[in-house]
Amino acid sequence: MSNLHLLSPELALGGMALGLMVADLFVAAKHGRLLYHLGWLVSILALVMVGYTISNSAAGQGVGSLWAVDPMSQFFKMLILLTTVLCLLMGLEYKDLPPAHAGTFVCLLLFSAVGMMLLVSSVDLLLTFVALELISLTSFILAGFERRNHKSNEGSVKYFLFGAFSSAIMAYGISLFYGATGTTRLVGVGHDGGPMFLLGLLMILLGFCFKASIAPMHFWVPDAYEGAPTPVTAFLSLAPKIATLGAMVRLFTVLLPASAFNLTTLFVVLAAATMTVGNFTAFFQNNVKRLLAYSSIAQAGYILIGIASGNTIGTEGVLLYSFVYVAMNIGAFAVAQSVASRSDGAGAYDLEAFNGLARRSFGLALAMAFFLLSLSGIPPLAGFIGKFYIFSAAVQSGHMGLAVIAVINSVVSVYYYMRVVYHMFFKPAADETPLAVGPFLYGGLAIAMAGILAFGVYPEPLVASVQASAQYLP
Amino acid sequence: MNMLSLVTFIPLAGALLVLALPKERVKAIQATALASAGASLALSIALIPLFNRGSADMQFVERLSWIPSMDIHYVLGVDGLSFPLLLLTTFISFIALIGSLGIKERVKEYFFWFLVLEVGMLGVFEALDLVLFYVFWELCLVPMYFLIGIWGGPRKEFAAIKFFLYTLAGSVFMLLAILAVYFNTAPHTFDMIALMKAHSAWSLKFQILVFLGFYLAFAIKIPAFPFHTWLPLAHVEAPTAVSVILAAVLLKMGLYGLLRVCYEMLPLGFHWFLPFLIAIAVINIVYGALCAMAQTDMKKMVAYSSVNHMGYCLLGVAGVSAIGFSGAVLQMINHGIITGSLFLLVGVIYDRAHTRDISAFGGLAARVPIYAGLMFLACFASLGLPGLAGFVSEFMCFLGGFAQWKIYTAISVLGVLATAAFFLRMMEKVFLGPLNNKWAGLSDMSARELCSIVPLTVLTIAFGVWPKLALAFINTTAVQMAGLFK
Repeated sequence: MSNLHLLSPELALGGMALGLMVADLFVAAKHGRLLYHLGWLVSILALVMVGYTISNSAAGQGVGSLWAVDPMSQFFKMLILLTTVLCLLMGLEYKDLPPAHAGTFVCLLLFSAVGMMLLVSSVDLLLTFVALELISLTSFILAGFERRNHKSNEGSVKYFLFGAFSSAIMAYGISLFYGATGTTRLVGVGHDGGPMFLLGLLMILLGFCFKASIAPMHFWVPDAYEGAPTPVTAFLSLAPKIATLGAMVRLFTVLLPASAFNLTTLFVVLAAATMTVGNFTAFFQNNVKRLLAYSSIAQAGYILIGIASGNTIGTEGVLLYSFVYVAMNIGAFAVAQSVASRSDGAGAYDLEAFNGLARRSFGLALAMAFFLLSLSGIPPLAGFIGKFYIFSAAVQSGHMGLAVIAVINSVVSVYYYMRVVYHMFFKPAADETPLAVGPFLYGGLAIAMAGILAFGVYPEPLVASVQASAQYLP
Repeated sequence: MNMLSLVTFIPLAGALLVLALPKERVKAIQATALASAGASLALSIALIPLFNRGSADMQFVERLSWIPSMDIHYVLGVDGLSFPLLLLTTFISFIALIGSLGIKERVKEYFFWFLVLEVGMLGVFEALDLVLFYVFWELCLVPMYFLIGIWGGPRKEFAAIKFFLYTLAGSVFMLLAILAVYFNTAPHTFDMIALMKAHSAWSLKFQILVFLGFYLAFAIKIPAFPFHTWLPLAHVEAPTAVSVILAAVLLKMGLYGLLRVCYEMLPLGFHWFLPFLIAIAVINIVYGALCAMAQTDMKKMVAYSSVNHMGYCLLGVAGVSAIGFSGAVLQMINHGIITGSLFLLVGVIYDRAHTRDISAFGGLAARVPIYAGLMFLACFASLGLPGLAGFVSEFMCFLGGFAQWKIYTAISVLGVLATAAFFLRMMEKVFLGPLNNKWAGLSDMSARELCSIVPLTVLTIAFGVWPKLALAFINTTAVQMAGLFK
């Protein structure tokens, strides 16, 4: 166990999450907010620890028995922790969460983050499976955290059934993999590329697809996202997806390159299908949460292009896009949450609720417009740089067809993103009172906004750090 | 001195300032907007004496490292092709801002988007790095979407999204073409000046494919048949000042791209496409004129006349000669000035009568003589009356086209006839004949309206009488461009 120190950020975060769970018993419900504050502070602490391992690569990085801690994994870990912080800030302003059990909520969220951090570092299928289960089990509970809300329960149960199913498939895939290679360790696998090995690999891929909401394993997404409390939705649409895609990059471009098994075409098809399904279904959504859910499916499709391309630019593109995606998606969900916080019950997230937002709170409407434009990849916002990088990966690797499908999808996506803008700017408001945005939500929004504007106009620092982070062990 | 950056980004500073002002302070917002656009105009005029008319090289070049990790740099510069268009943009933007002072609703948002739009337009004409070019190109989309969608006419929402999707659909293929060019150049570069010298290494097939990617984006913007259908809708629904910008500047972005990228970077692709280009030019001319003739709405008529006039530009371009290129660029400038004033004038009558139906009027010349005089002048200039600006450039375009495409040019002349017909018909129905008593109370033009239109009229006459005023800037570059691939 001499290499356990590599996982010190994860261990610290997990330990503190358990501490928060215990603290829940001693903190009165009316002081529940305190635990949220502790939660994001703890995440920032873990973020600092990850940052330390990046700056001290000799002491903090290396290959362990089941894990590899390298610039790439640390990049994803920082993203996951950043998402966790921002979602907890959103949670502070979310009124529908029960004041009791705040500690449980924060603890589950942090454990989920721990699972993701393990996932992006994993170089052994056993750890991969355990990490995925840790993410899934916590996510199921988080999605159903609003116990009195039927939609929340429904989404959670669907999510659970689908998740259990895909976990089983993945476990079976791992057993086949073990049968073919005699090991679960992914480093230096001596495989024969035979049918059993490939079948195992495909089943493992299917398990990943579930978590990253890649078609055809995306069916749980809209219901789970719609029902879950909005901060959880934002979290689910970002952290598990990014972590899974990070793990997929490691597995399918580094450890067992897809091109070595002629699986490139499969990834191209998956990317194209995911984008297209997400975008064309989002067309018909009138609920902003569902719309953003389908949009997040499409975004996963764009990121998958980076993996399908299989080149260095593709890997860098996955990292870059993931970073940008965090900022723009969390921003969109934060605005949606603050708009919905004014109305009660059904219809709070309908497009109609956004009517005339530009008259009520111009800044908020402008921010939402920028987030959506960034999601659709319009310069000079950061989303453009992400798309640009991903598309150039596809062009460089010669996947012109995939690039064409991707840009057509971008155009299609503008239509439904602009539907929200249409309601915000063109429709008159039913009630003209400005929206009150709480200080923590405001802070989260400001961070996200600064991210997409600054890195849209001057992406050099981001691009340079992504290029430095796209290095891996072993 | 980073003069070009100053010209480009002063409006952006103005836009941010407008955003920071409280929305009740309408006067301050208007003053800020005018001041920043005015400063930009003044600076661009100050560049005129510094511009070397005898050189076809890029001038005022600025080169900064922007995203070195991706080989993307911030490079600005102008030559005889882009400098006149730059002047046109600052000038028309200022004029259109004066024309926008009548906007009463959501003033702050309006001027914010307007100034952002100006930044995008200026950048397109100056950028010498393909990614920078693309960024500026796309920067024009969103402000235009809001300007049409919020302050437009009855079908504004549909017009706005149609404009947005249509142009975006074109430009994403440009993005792919940019990437393809990048990866097929050794060493990889987005630098437009370097790419202009790199094409000899590219095969015909590659050039054709890339050409088509770029052409789609530019053709939609020009708009060249059959991609023109967004234009009448957007022009008609947009508020007056925005129609002016659309017609006077935005359409020129397409033609500019066609010359700068398609011609100068992809000569083989361009030559392969020439037979189609000339056919499209003729269709634009004739079909545009015929469509304009069928309109009863004055604004829609002017909109279709733009399709027709862009056809003349394409004809000049298809001539691939110095005179053709000069004519095309001059026609872009003249069309900007003339159609700008036409849209402003139609806006004047619409503000008073709340209709633009040609047959609803009659005999207005007696009631509003100044208005009628200006309108007559603009219409005559647009239909190509000698002595006014339009004639010179159209003649040069025909001259350029005729050398290569005799029959096509002959057919195009029919378009001139139709152009004359629809303008004359409009003038007759609106201004001549007995006065329709409904409009007896119509007032003539106000000082603000005169302020925005008279400068355009003065230029229309000036360029008509003394075209060298504008041609002096264009000529050297046009000669050099024509000599590039012989």
